[in-house]
Amino acid sequence: MSAPVLQMHNITKTFPGVLANDDVSFDVHAGEVHTLLGENGAGKSTLMKILFGLYQPDSGQILLRGQQANITSPTDAIEKRVGMVHQHFMLVPTLTVAENVALGLPSSRGLRTDLDAVSERIASISEQYGLSVDPGVEIWKLSVGERQRVEIIKALYRDAELLVLDEPTAVLTPQEVDDLFVILRQMTAADTAIIFISHKLHEVMELSDRITVLRNGRVTGHTTPAETSRQQLADLMVGREVKLAPDKPPVDLGLVRLKLRGVTVKGDRGTIAVDNVDLDVHAGEILGVAGVSGNGQRELAETIAGLRPAEAGSVQLDDTDLSKANPAQSRAAGLSYVPEERMKDGAVGEFDVSENLLLINHGEKRFLRNGLFNFDAIKSHCQQLVDDFAVKTPSLSTPTSSLSGGNIQKVIMARELESSPAVLVAAQPTRGVDIGAAEYIHSQLVKQRSDGVAIVMISEDLDEVLGLADRIAVMFEGRIVKIVDRENATKDQLGLAMAGAG
Amino acid sequence: MSQFFTLSVLTATLATAIKFAVPYLLASLGETIGQRSGVLNLGVDGIMLLGAFGAYYTVLETDSHLLGLAVGLIIGLLMGLLYAVVTVFLHAQQGISGIGIFLFGLGFSDLLFQELVGSVKPVKPLPTLDKLPGVGGIFEPLVDIDILGPLVFDHDLMTYTAFLLVPVVTWLLNKTTFGMNVRAVGENPQAADSLGVSVARTRFIAIMFGCVLAGLAGATLALQLAVFQHNLTNGIGFIAVALVYFGAWQPRWVMAGALLYGLVTATRLRWQSLDIIPQGASDIAAMTPAIITILALVLLASRARGPAALTKPFTRH
Amino acid sequence: MRVTRLLKLMAVLFAISLTAAACGGDDDSASVTTSECGSDLGVEKGDSVTDLSVALVAPSAADDVAFTQSMVDSLTRLGIEPQITDGTFVVEEAAAAIRGYAEDGVNIVIAHGTQYGGSLAEIAPDFPETSFIWGTATDTQGLANVFAYHPEADQGGYVNGYIAAGLAGDIGVVGPVEAGDAVAYVEGFAKGAQANGASAPSIVYTGSFSDVALATTTAQAHADNGVGALTGTSQSAVGAVTVATANDLPWFGTQSNTEAWSTDLTVASQVYHWDVVLKDMIEQIEGGTLGGEAMSLTLENGGLVMEFNGCYDLDSDIRDAAEGVIEDIIAGEISTK
Repeated sequence: MSAPVLQMHNITKTFPGVLANDDVSFDVHAGEVHTLLGENGAGKSTLMKILFGLYQPDSGQILLRGQQANITSPTDAIEKRVGMVHQHFMLVPTLTVAENVALGLPSSRGLRTDLDAVSERIASISEQYGLSVDPGVEIWKLSVGERQRVEIIKALYRDAELLVLDEPTAVLTPQEVDDLFVILRQMTAADTAIIFISHKLHEVMELSDRITVLRNGRVTGHTTPAETSRQQLADLMVGREVKLAPDKPPVDLGLVRLKLRGVTVKGDRGTIAVDNVDLDVHAGEILGVAGVSGNGQRELAETIAGLRPAEAGSVQLDDTDLSKANPAQSRAAGLSYVPEERMKDGAVGEFDVSENLLLINHGEKRFLRNGLFNFDAIKSHCQQLVDDFAVKTPSLSTPTSSLSGGNIQKVIMARELESSPAVLVAAQPTRGVDIGAAEYIHSQLVKQRSDGVAIVMISEDLDEVLGLADRIAVMFEGRIVKIVDRENATKDQLGLAMAGAG
Repeated sequence: MSQFFTLSVLTATLATAIKFAVPYLLASLGETIGQRSGVLNLGVDGIMLLGAFGAYYTVLETDSHLLGLAVGLIIGLLMGLLYAVVTVFLHAQQGISGIGIFLFGLGFSDLLFQELVGSVKPVKPLPTLDKLPGVGGIFEPLVDIDILGPLVFDHDLMTYTAFLLVPVVTWLLNKTTFGMNVRAVGENPQAADSLGVSVARTRFIAIMFGCVLAGLAGATLALQLAVFQHNLTNGIGFIAVALVYFGAWQPRWVMAGALLYGLVTATRLRWQSLDIIPQGASDIAAMTPAIITILALVLLASRARGPAALTKPFTRH
Repeated sequence: MRVTRLLKLMAVLFAISLTAAACGGDDDSASVTTSECGSDLGVEKGDSVTDLSVALVAPSAADDVAFTQSMVDSLTRLGIEPQITDGTFVVEEAAAAIRGYAEDGVNIVIAHGTQYGGSLAEIAPDFPETSFIWGTATDTQGLANVFAYHPEADQGGYVNGYIAAGLAGDIGVVGPVEAGDAVAYVEGFAKGAQANGASAPSIVYTGSFSDVALATTTAQAHADNGVGALTGTSQSAVGAVTVATANDLPWFGTQSNTEAWSTDLTVASQVYHWDVVLKDMIEQIEGGTLGGEAMSLTLENGGLVMEFNGCYDLDSDIRDAAEGVIEDIIAGEISTK
């Protein structure tokens, strides 16, 4: 067998106070998909930045095709035939596909661009790997899946032998994920080596030839899908036993607490974002709202929470009409809201943990003494919440922005659930949150369900929806295009509905 | 009104509009290149003033228009160097740096004028084709052609240069690798950088183009008017920047804007001279060119969106 | 940071070098002069007319060859060397300077800018022992220790218009903004031209005192319309003068002598001499009257001087008739308004 395309040997990289990579070794052969699996902060991105010359390792070495390689910059990496598909696409939306591909490369026609020749080669690459895309069309006209194909073409056009894909499925619909995997398989069949970075366990199991799991900068396991299971991978990632799907005790369905009729909402651009939506949510049920980002879920959540006025229709919580309510009125009626953009809408980053915990109810009598804050009462209350919700924070006075995504989310959940709401709207509750925290957040949602709260959980993660929801509504272009009980839902069927084909 | 709608008056008004538009066109074409690369230059007016003074003073001393234009160009180059260093390499905030360049140009051009010249002294204006030394005779019969003569042949060489630059800049932006790089760094510098396109170098060259044309625009203005005085441009550079926005960053629309601005100006002055606009309305008349041009371009180009990275300094993370 | 320091420097330069409306100077108080063709007139320091201390606050530079310098020249003719704060384009800075001079006990503070009027109304009552001279302005705002001055620009305008009508039937006027002495000049010009048999001149106000390109375009429109003579006012008028030169049209100047712009085609210029009213004011101040009067520059008091260009070969009949008109204006037999 020839030398691996890439070998990273004993890579160690420290930043002040942080050991980002600790003696990490792994290799990738031509024609295989090697997955790097790990939580946020496990050291995957540091390792890739070292591979692309953005960081130099403190010790260890990189070998490309068996030769010692000194990579000094991303451009240098490209020249050494290492390609990268970033999670946030590196594309110029106003330029055409061909122009994006040609960018940075010398033209065969000197000062003038040679887009005809570029387009021809794109066409032949497209054909070879089934990456159908029109070279002459501007990027902004393409779907997310097509844009990703352009990124892959960019790398292949530069003769990449090794392609790194950073969380490539995060932005795709299930069908697009399937398409991507077909393409990646074709590439490995043509001897391209692929590094796949992900934390979605079922995708990792499906696609990988080999898997390297990282935790806290160290390799915690080298394995293959055949030798492992989702559960084992999750345990390796987190370093303890993880409950992937929460146990849901049976709950008697209560009365309808939240009732939406004909709700129509305009988005930020003035177009209709939510179109004539009817929903009933019962006490003791989790209604999962699935859909690809940007199909009106955010606007729907904001309308229920009183942040965005409805153009038409009614929002009723028990007997209270909330369609014209402001956030304070919604809260008074018994509604809690965990927003999608947790740092923008959910918490004040500069405020410390206790301030964020008290953001809503700091005016209550129990925190005051003679009209001034009673700091003892506040401290004990906040400490209680931090303990209850297992928030990992150095202290109550730590600035919230310095916590991890999962812990910020726990602070918000603690605050929102403290008031024992009747209805909870949770938008993308575990997005960007590591598995351990997600597990905890899920268990809290299930606990609320058992306590008889009516829960609307909006999520783009189908596994999450299928794991938690009692009923599932799919949103597409502002409308509820499908609503099914969990028992009757299949992933394929939901995926099709999310793409508007249901 | 009828005295306006005669062939000779209409032709003369159009010819005036074309001539009037030239400094605006030169400056805004340059600014278009700069802005497409993501750099806003509010200092255009200041650079024009320095270019104007440099050209004027050179012609005053040497009597050579060519030398004057060359000096205007070189001044644009030097000011471009200054602005590029400040905005691209020192990452200074573009808006305030541009205003700094403007104030410098305004003050320094006047200081030089006071020190070196003192009082307003006219020089020879840029010759129209028929007055070009040596070859002018060839064009003389052409200028006398009805309509076409005054519209097409009765202009100086900088007028032809300015209009010729419209397709040239369009070609530069759309058909060259440099132009592609300019558009890329103006829209998504991170993406361009990730492919080895030097954002700093591309913006640097784009700024140079813009400032050279600004210097040349000032030189052309001074030599067409054949004088220099304090604040000769009177805000032309700022209107040029506005024309880039309202012209949707497309050279042909920018040209349309410059021509429209010139046409409305020439028409309103002509109407005032023919008493079509009553004297008491002169203040309102003075505002019409800007209003009509903005309205027209907003209607025509309202869907356009500027370069996404405009005014944003680029630093690699 | 570097940029802010650079900015400061620019701002200083900017302020120093601002010029306002143009205005030149000559040296005698006769109402008519004729330049010697090709001569260069300097300003000679006169015998001092007062021992009082004088300070000048003005918007542009003392050597601007325009508005501010005309005042410095006028003071020089009166033998006065004032303390000067120039370049105070920003009114707040001018106000600080005016108040500062008054606090220092300066006897006469000249606020040479219409825009300083508001500040003066606040400052003057605080210093009743100090005399303030303010212009161009037609009234003293009711302040007992303020003198105001302004030119009756319609008088020279009338004379220029009268002469122009002798040379051409259709005349074009390039006005800047419909305000102040520009309107007075233009309307006087139109009246004078019509009095001598010309049709009503075509008057265009460009909307700007400083926009040379607009003045040029306007003059070109006049020329295209077939006018036989041009006039104009404000610093932008130089653009019109170049059009006059290119089209061989006689030109009439005002505020300053425009011979420098067009040696051959300037027929006559109305020139402002501030020293005439200043002298009068200083005499009153020495006599104990610190203000309360608005004074005009007129042909009669020599504040306005018609300067004929020795290089322009003006028909002697026209010249004689013009001098007759000047006498009639001085005698009050012709109304120029």
